[in-house]
Amino acid sequence: MKFLIHALNLVKTYGEGESKTVALDNVSMDVGEGEFVAIIGASGSGKSTLMNILGCLDKPTSGKYFFEDKLVSELSADSLAGIRNKKIGFIFQSFNLLARTSALKNVELPLLYGNVTGSDMTKRAVNLLTKVNLSSKLHSKPSQLSGGEQQRVAIARALVNDPSIIFADEPTGNLDSRTSFEIMKLFSQLNSEGRTIVMITHEMDVARFAARIIRIHDGKILEDKKNKPVRAAFEKKKS
Amino acid sequence: MNPVELLSVSIEAIKTNKLRSVLTALGVIIGVASIILLISISAGLQGFISSQFEKLGANSLFIIPGKLEGSFGGPPRTVNKLTFNIVDRLEREKSSAIVDVSAFIEIAVTARFKNESKVTTLDGVKESYFVYSDMKAEKGRVFNEKEDEVARRVAVLGTTLARDLYKADNPIDKTISISNKTFTVIGVLEPQGNIGGVDIDNLVLIPLNSARKLTGTDQVNSILVRTTSTDTIPVAKEHIDKILKRTLSEDDYTLLSQEQLLSSILQILGVLTAALGGIAAISLLVGGIGISNIMLVSVTERTREIGLRKAVGATNKAILSQFLTESVILSLGGGILGVIVGYLGSLILSNFLETTVPVWAVVLGLGFSTLVGVIFGTFPAIRASRLEPIEALRHE
Repeated sequence: MKFLIHALNLVKTYGEGESKTVALDNVSMDVGEGEFVAIIGASGSGKSTLMNILGCLDKPTSGKYFFEDKLVSELSADSLAGIRNKKIGFIFQSFNLLARTSALKNVELPLLYGNVTGSDMTKRAVNLLTKVNLSSKLHSKPSQLSGGEQQRVAIARALVNDPSIIFADEPTGNLDSRTSFEIMKLFSQLNSEGRTIVMITHEMDVARFAARIIRIHDGKILEDKKNKPVRAAFEKKKS
Repeated sequence: MNPVELLSVSIEAIKTNKLRSVLTALGVIIGVASIILLISISAGLQGFISSQFEKLGANSLFIIPGKLEGSFGGPPRTVNKLTFNIVDRLEREKSSAIVDVSAFIEIAVTARFKNESKVTTLDGVKESYFVYSDMKAEKGRVFNEKEDEVARRVAVLGTTLARDLYKADNPIDKTISISNKTFTVIGVLEPQGNIGGVDIDNLVLIPLNSARKLTGTDQVNSILVRTTSTDTIPVAKEHIDKILKRTLSEDDYTLLSQEQLLSSILQILGVLTAALGGIAAISLLVGGIGISNIMLVSVTERTREIGLRKAVGATNKAILSQFLTESVILSLGGGILGVIVGYLGSLILSNFLETTVPVWAVVLGLGFSTLVGVIFGTFPAIRASRLEPIEALRHE
């Protein structure tokens, strides 16, 4: 299996002197292509810090982080922006859609910073919105969409550049359980199509959809084990 | 981001806060509008003055009493020492560069006909005045050399004056009383309008010698020397200066050429325009500060948006250009509106005075407003571009 993510002894500290806090304490982990990993932990456990570093939004205080065999700490801000644009899709708890523009424009957003243009751009965005069952809401503004619909727009946006990996930070945190279940089913579907997904959550119910669960506490990995994903259970039942 | 996308993203952001955007641009609108308006008035005035001077003839020199200080220092305050003696001497000793020497007498008089009277200006002129000023009689005729020589009491009136005194009657061959002396009206001029600040249509023109008799003094108010061409003006000037120096001191007279006079006036006008333009530019500066202020507010308001854009791959440069484009659109948009407002203002003003909006003024206005957008947009844009993506995403 090829490693997409290879992290060695990551340490992240904030502040100086007495107010110094350790968010990540010697974390090492790998994620291979096609994996669906859930990082679970309570708030303050360091899971968000970990995801920010893995997602090339932040740099570790020490330790080595390789993204697709590239040492991230040696890359320039512009190269990191390029990696985030082409290789990474982000999904956030609060969706983070631009309120003043349509679903379609929101999905097109990452393409603006790549080199995709005009009709190609629209075609890709429409395809993805269709994939997440929003073909009838292309021109709706975020305020006209339900929470689940907004998160599906965000998922389409994360997929639009055909990234190597998707990072989801509490993707169901703002959704009711029924909608959460639909979003998780969509994640499972994407994973079965070969997408690599790293998801952060504090809910076991959500984490159970992943094939691998990493438990983190006080900046340390407590447990890293394989999981029999819920989806697999579904499919077994069906057959 | 390609330029088209950049523009559409920026315009969208500006449209989200329409009222705020218009109010922000207002400072620039007012600044540019006042610059355009001021330039249009000044340019109109320059054109007007230049054309007036052309009417007076470019190849001529004026001798006026007293000394004008500096390039243009208000009316002279010394005693008038220009006399007919001097005029005669100039006439006698004129060089080949000089075509004609004519004196002017100008006094304020009360002109009367029956019960109508009017305070106006009387000019005593030589008959040649009508020829080189290109003035023709609309009714009757102008006086001739003979009438000047013998100092006949004949008068040529401006149209306004003729209408005021004689109403619907034909004034020709009627009498006119000037300073209690009776003259005969022999002609009424075609409408002339204002030439060199004098309303010709209100003048009474009589032969120079008649005016000399009327005033009873030997003084003349000014002497006009016409030269063969504009090129011979310096030679003629030197020649005249030499003759005048014999009897007069340097402080007794001033020799003015049209060009000199024109350039002096235009110079003053230029300084005035620059000063007023400077004041207008201050309002443009204030407008720029307004833009800077609102852009800073906008950056704070949109911190999350900036974080998101960075998370999906926007480089610092892309964010910088987005916010810079927004501020330039605000200020350039304000500039375009300002040009329109200024142009309309100058159209309205053109009912009262001469105005022209030169192309360079429009270019200047738009150029300045773009500059203001770039200068005052840079700081907020740099601030936006330097935001850390995770900090920005965490912003509430």
